[in-house]
Amino acid sequence: MQKIGILLPRSTYYETISFDIFQGLKSSLENLELKEYQIITENIGFGADKQQCYRAAEKLLLEENVSLVVAYIGHRTAELLRPLFLAANKILVVLDAGANLPNEWPTCPNIFYHSLHNALGARFSAQKAINDGFSEGALITGYYDGGYLHTYSISKSFEDFNGKIVFNHATGYREDDFNMDPLTSHLDQYPNSALLSIFSGDFVQWYFAEINKKFKNKNLPMYLTPFGMEETMLEKAEFASEHIKGITAWSKKIENSHNQHFIETLEATGRKPNIFSLISWESAALVEKIISLLNIHKTNLHEISSDLKNYQFETPRGIISFDHKTNTTLSPLFEAKIIDKNGYCDIEIENEITNYKEEFEKLASFQLENINSAWYNSYTCI
Amino acid sequence: MENSIKIVLLCGGRFAFPALQLLAFEKFLYAVAIGKGSENIVDALENECTNNNMKFNHFPNKAKIKEMKDWINEIQPDYIFSISFPFLIPEEVLKYGTDKFINFHPGPLPRYRGVMPIFEVLKNQESHTAICAHFMNANFDEGNIIFNDPILINDNETYGSLTVKLSKRVAQVALNMANMLQFAKSIPSIIQDEDFAYYYEKPTLSDTYINWKQMDAAEIVALINACNPWNTGADTTFIGQPAKLIEARVIDKSSNENQPGTIIEILDENQICIATADNKQIAVTILQTQEGIQTVKQLHRKLNLMNLAFN
Repeated sequence: MQKIGILLPRSTYYETISFDIFQGLKSSLENLELKEYQIITENIGFGADKQQCYRAAEKLLLEENVSLVVAYIGHRTAELLRPLFLAANKILVVLDAGANLPNEWPTCPNIFYHSLHNALGARFSAQKAINDGFSEGALITGYYDGGYLHTYSISKSFEDFNGKIVFNHATGYREDDFNMDPLTSHLDQYPNSALLSIFSGDFVQWYFAEINKKFKNKNLPMYLTPFGMEETMLEKAEFASEHIKGITAWSKKIENSHNQHFIETLEATGRKPNIFSLISWESAALVEKIISLLNIHKTNLHEISSDLKNYQFETPRGIISFDHKTNTTLSPLFEAKIIDKNGYCDIEIENEITNYKEEFEKLASFQLENINSAWYNSYTCI
Repeated sequence: MENSIKIVLLCGGRFAFPALQLLAFEKFLYAVAIGKGSENIVDALENECTNNNMKFNHFPNKAKIKEMKDWINEIQPDYIFSISFPFLIPEEVLKYGTDKFINFHPGPLPRYRGVMPIFEVLKNQESHTAICAHFMNANFDEGNIIFNDPILINDNETYGSLTVKLSKRVAQVALNMANMLQFAKSIPSIIQDEDFAYYYEKPTLSDTYINWKQMDAAEIVALINACNPWNTGADTTFIGQPAKLIEARVIDKSSNENQPGTIIEILDENQICIATADNKQIAVTILQTQEGIQTVKQLHRKLNLMNLAFN
């Protein structure tokens, strides 16, 4: 019997996040050949309390003696846990929102990142705005979302593709403090600029409501990142413009048999599939592979790491492989636009992005000296 | 949350400074002691400690180390970290608590014990090195291992570039260790496996000297990189005089069975191609002769280098 540990976060606006992550992993393991297993959960709150995260992981490793741990955390928390996993000679699979850019990309042989690539999506979103003819851009975000380095990715990428950031606006994180008033003067001065927008969860809904309040029927050009294009939040967001585009990591509308199977399986358990159940569903393939490699290589983590990084697997969003230098999985991303569905938002997939590996290499080579994020918590977990 | 553990950092100079800054920033650092160190560095460190309300001590020689016991007992830290501290801590001092002294060794243990593991891993052409956090005992680098934190060695990494990389990384590793001590119920550790242990003495001329008859091209370039800059470069002899090769790369091209060490081609006036024992070549761009450090281009203006030999 293999014991698999999982560190589960909580989120105010994604209330079901821990259930989604748990169910995604459980359902996927049930579909794989790995039958003899037990999932052991530990709660890490918002992922911001270092002691809580450390103690939870320590309990799984030293008291429960799990074979490996899966955790929805960021790079900083993974760094905190790194010595524990090195000392215990155990493997950590990080389910990563991809919202942050680490100052040092991971090379540790026992920590692997399975990512939703929000910062990479931000780079493609910036490029899409340029390709649509915008040479001036405004970064629009909030106090919370703005604290992650996907903001740096979208700004730097817009400039990499020869655009110019002419305005930045970070609004508050409480509803009564959330406003888009500064956009009025910005748009008077730069009427043809793209709004490079980084929001997640409720903030997407508030953002579109504010845009409707101040700029109804103006059809402002907005470009979103994968968490901004997350369907379960968008379906409760007011439709705010005919020109909202962006990059999505996953959608129910991706047409392939793996996605159909994932959606049907999750729905049969009574859960609505989303990016959180998706990422943990996919991680089951990694768990299965790691367990088979543990059987072959025992405790030699360098051998396991080497073999795992050559592993590819099919998922609801396409074939996933590893970037060898950063221990991070890479997967296709999708260009999408937002369409009107009875006054609310729906997604329409436009294209699959194929050059994601090359662009990820560029993202991973950003020089981040003196560019830091202070946020410890797992992205969207507030 | 205010960090609750108090750490003393024993250091040997600049290598430990990023760790010192990070531990201070994260409010773990309680006191600092330096062993040896130039007067400038010692003074600067003492001033910084005074300005930041931290205790400071200086142990310039083995005789002074005897005073460490009283100092530690007086200031009562929770843990003592050692980063490139040049002296062995006496057993009398270690009695303060065997699980309280943690060394951060800049090489993987137990395979790379000794004072210059950065030189040894480069010379041995390792693809990875590590910073090893281990409890200290009365022998150098032999205490129980907490973890080896692995680090990739890039192509053409020199002793200097790897030292800078490790110095930055050891800061994060020390912080991780501090967090671990603060949050862990227990610190796992393992006894070093003596079957894999090796102690490297401080390199001497025989370790830094190029043996043209036996060493292949990759070994020579690895040695040159491992010697740059602490030994200026790898030692050799050129026209009967001592010389050092400072920068070189392997050329995957036959040397047509020329005598190893012979200059067989000059590329663009700024690289000399030297035959090696594996019938390959290395291209050298910078070297040191009796006249000083110079580029191949500078040397070639004064001397026709073609067919001359290193030995």
